[in-house]
Amino acid sequence: MPRRKPGTLLTLETEILEMALAMRRSGHASFHGFGIAHAMREQSASRRLTAHGTLYKALGRLEEFGMLTSRWEDAPEPGRPRRRLYELTGQGVRAAEQALAGRERTAAGPVPRISSEPA
Amino acid sequence: MTPERMAALVARWVRFYTRELPAPIAERRAGEVAADLHDHVAHERAAGTGDRRIALGIGSRMLRGLAADATWRGRNLDRKDTMTRRSIVRVALVTGLILLLPLVTTLTSDGEGWSVADFVFAAVLLGGTGLLLELAARKPRSIALRAGAGAIAVAAIALGEADDAPGLVLFGLLLIIGTLVLTIRTAASR
Repeated sequence: MPRRKPGTLLTLETEILEMALAMRRSGHASFHGFGIAHAMREQSASRRLTAHGTLYKALGRLEEFGMLTSRWEDAPEPGRPRRRLYELTGQGVRAAEQALAGRERTAAGPVPRISSEPA
Repeated sequence: MTPERMAALVARWVRFYTRELPAPIAERRAGEVAADLHDHVAHERAAGTGDRRIALGIGSRMLRGLAADATWRGRNLDRKDTMTRRSIVRVALVTGLILLLPLVTTLTSDGEGWSVADFVFAAVLLGGTGLLLELAARKPRSIALRAGAGAIAVAAIALGEADDAPGLVLFGLLLIIGTLVLTIRTAASR
């Protein structure tokens, strides 16, 4: 398998950033592993949740890149294990916005180089 | 199979692939997966999903992530080797720096300095204790390592008092402070 260039993001990592940005804009600044996996499943209308190994490896890498920060939940509900809470950093927000802008450009299709209007 | 049994299987797998990794890394992964499994089961049950289907979903997530788990483990093992090398270099540097002082004194005094055997003894004591503290910092929950450091400290103070060696007493006191700081840090991180 070819090694990826340092600093480049995988599709899953970009999806996590975009979803985290969407959650942040809807008032949820922090998220946890199952929460983001569930939100991504809803968004993609998929039947499957992201695998544990893939998800937590991606979250760890995004944290290493400085795009996310994380901390343990202070007071979990009784009977529930404490969650690791993630938050986008400024760098993560910029990367997510760039990824979203890129996606929107791709969805809009190529910009015509010659005007289609009659002269 | 019930979701709980499948979750227990996943937890066992996590324990297996995080073995021999530094404790903070292993504990973080185990904690995150435990919370995820709990949330997964609770969410699906609230949505009315049957137990068999929940268990299959959990098993599928584990199986699809096996390759990622293996590469993650490999990367963290490499990191562990780097940490070990750094620990050894750090201990060697600190030991060397501390021994510089008696070395300079020995070289500048007229026959009243340390013998070669003194230097070897001090290097073994400082280096061994440094490595013990490095190990204790990496395995903060190991009471045996902290107890070992404490025992060396008490022995150093006792020997220092008996032999009228204030340096040895100071070393013992510093070691006790270091062990206490480590214990407090461990308690605070729980």
